[in-house]
Amino acid sequence: MIASLLASWPPAVLVPLPVAIPLLVCAALLATAHLLPGRTPDILATITALVVSGLSAIIAVQAGDGSVDYWFGGWQPRDGIALGIGFSVDAASGWIGAFIGFLYACTFVFAWGFFARTHGHFHILMLLFLAAMIGFCFTRDLFNLFVWFEVMSVAAFALTAYHLARSSIIGAINFTVVNSLAGFLMLGGIGLLYARAETLDFAGIAQGVAHAGRDPVVAGGFCLVAAALMIKGATVPFQFWLADAHAVAPSPVSVIFSGAMVSLGIFGLAKLSAVVFDGSAQIREAIPVLMIGLGAISAVLGGWMALLQRHLKRLLAFSTISHAGIMLIGIGTLSAQGSAGLLVYVVGHGLVKGGLFMIAGILLATRASIDEIALRGLGRGIAPAGVAMAVAGLLLAGLPVGLLDTGANLLHGSLTAAHPYALAATIAGGALTGAAVLRAAGRIFLGLGEDPGDEAGAPSEAEREKADRPLWLMLAPCCAMLALDAALPASWIHGMAPGAVTAFSHHALRGMVSEGPAWPAWASVAGALGLAAFALFRHRLPRLVVGPIRATQSAPTRALEALHSGLIGDYVAWLAVGLALMAGVLAYA
Amino acid sequence: MTWLPYAVAAWLFAIGLYGLASSRNLIHLVGCLSVCQSATYVLLLGLGYRYGSIAPIFYDHPPGTPAVDPVMQALVLTDIVVGATLSALLLVLTVQAYKRSGTLDPEHLKPMSRGGDKAAPATSAKHPAR
Repeated sequence: MIASLLASWPPAVLVPLPVAIPLLVCAALLATAHLLPGRTPDILATITALVVSGLSAIIAVQAGDGSVDYWFGGWQPRDGIALGIGFSVDAASGWIGAFIGFLYACTFVFAWGFFARTHGHFHILMLLFLAAMIGFCFTRDLFNLFVWFEVMSVAAFALTAYHLARSSIIGAINFTVVNSLAGFLMLGGIGLLYARAETLDFAGIAQGVAHAGRDPVVAGGFCLVAAALMIKGATVPFQFWLADAHAVAPSPVSVIFSGAMVSLGIFGLAKLSAVVFDGSAQIREAIPVLMIGLGAISAVLGGWMALLQRHLKRLLAFSTISHAGIMLIGIGTLSAQGSAGLLVYVVGHGLVKGGLFMIAGILLATRASIDEIALRGLGRGIAPAGVAMAVAGLLLAGLPVGLLDTGANLLHGSLTAAHPYALAATIAGGALTGAAVLRAAGRIFLGLGEDPGDEAGAPSEAEREKADRPLWLMLAPCCAMLALDAALPASWIHGMAPGAVTAFSHHALRGMVSEGPAWPAWASVAGALGLAAFALFRHRLPRLVVGPIRATQSAPTRALEALHSGLIGDYVAWLAVGLALMAGVLAYA
Repeated sequence: MTWLPYAVAAWLFAIGLYGLASSRNLIHLVGCLSVCQSATYVLLLGLGYRYGSIAPIFYDHPPGTPAVDPVMQALVLTDIVVGATLSALLLVLTVQAYKRSGTLDPEHLKPMSRGGDKAAPATSAKHPAR
């Protein structure tokens, strides 16, 4: 009955609801949370997230190969000039919205009873966060995008510091300062673009950009907006805040950070560079250099750093940097295939990485530690979590099953001919991060890896989370996410991708979306298994093999660790370096 | 059209970044962040300004009188709200950091200690860190 009712409505009616509903529930909770009994906020929040997910999926289906537009207050564009603010949802944005809703629902189940006596504050902040993310995906107005970006940031800052422990406060300060600078850069860039295009609507700015030709104001605007989104997307050299923030945030919050927030930065950049900046030859020339170069460096550096960690959440944070770099490479290909791969990768990576952070949360709750070396062999009593962690590690490494692999496969296909080095970097990123997760799983759940190696020198600290939740309740959402990743058929994605990418990029990106080669996935899995086996069994290897590797690896390892100093001053200096680098590449393009 | 506001904006942003990079006090750091943000105010107001025009309020002016760009002013207003939120949040975090560590110097406030948790049981005593 509901389906027939929905069919008779104009499709645009639904568009603002995925943003409005969480905001309304959020306000209602804030007013009544102290009166509500026990677990009501948990139930309300989970239902809200599921409703958002369902509505976004319906909108995505309605959008088909086009988009569903909604203008707030009925301010339709007149004579091609958009005065109002609008949402425009294509299939890709809609499905990513549905994925985000699902991720939140899983997180709310995972965090069931996690925060005792919070008066629903956790749920209120999370719902605000959810609304901001959906708004960020759906909007077609640059300033509106900035507003959602800021709402997302402020909710994230508060959630990071939720525990008010020493580390989480410092991590939150670093996170806040760097991401606030991102907000300022973005606003400056929006000002410059508005000065050229005299509108804030994506389509209008695209016309202005195409009309302007080679123009330092447009290039400056792109530089600032792209830098802001790359700070959110944790691209080298803007990535430093991420490891601090994700490692200290409560584990349900880290699920959202790594699963959705970071990839949304890349998603926003992909949308803007295709929809808005496609008309500028200068920017089209700079994008491959910047995105593929920085993406490849992030993929390898993040993976390497992940392999050197012992604090499990910090390890996963670095692996997020690596995979965000792989997504960024997809933007740099400037092809329909690369963008399709990137969009599928966002969803697949979110499901797998979210699941891994939940396993870290399970260890924190049931084993009262997050330190891989301290936890060695302590996971034996919770074998199902170990199996889930091993499966997630293999999926992360690129095991050719499921959604993450479909995305990686499309990406590999777009890279084989034109960018062999980037292909090598994506394989290395998958292998290194997969190896780090598999090594941790082997050490914690099987008690392997007596020799702590270089990980012993990595930062860590004592941490624990509320322990009275049953294991199945925490494991169920994790397994649901991994199962969804593994179960979604590649044929469905391949059928939908060409139309979805054309609509996503407003016809800027066209072309074939075809299956990529299979060998990179196997190369990556083999690399991950080999590296993990080396880390776990190195005390059994002859000294002749281990000695030279240790000797050559130690110095760069220590230098890399020293770069991630935890000092906000260093991070800001690197931010300035990155900004100068981007400006330089644009100036010479 | 003059270059002066843009030069001022660039200088403010650069000097704010320098302050952030070299700060040894969290309260000073929050101030530096506000300086960076002031750069965006100047930039946006400079972009929207038109010489010889009125504020975009048409209460006592006939419609059609040249006015400065109201969109830019709306952006700056939003920016000010964002700035107030950020400063408040950062200062709260600063107070909490001081309560827990007794210092405001970022050099002494690092998120995690190297070499792991000293209190954790030494399960790997057989192979100590080299």
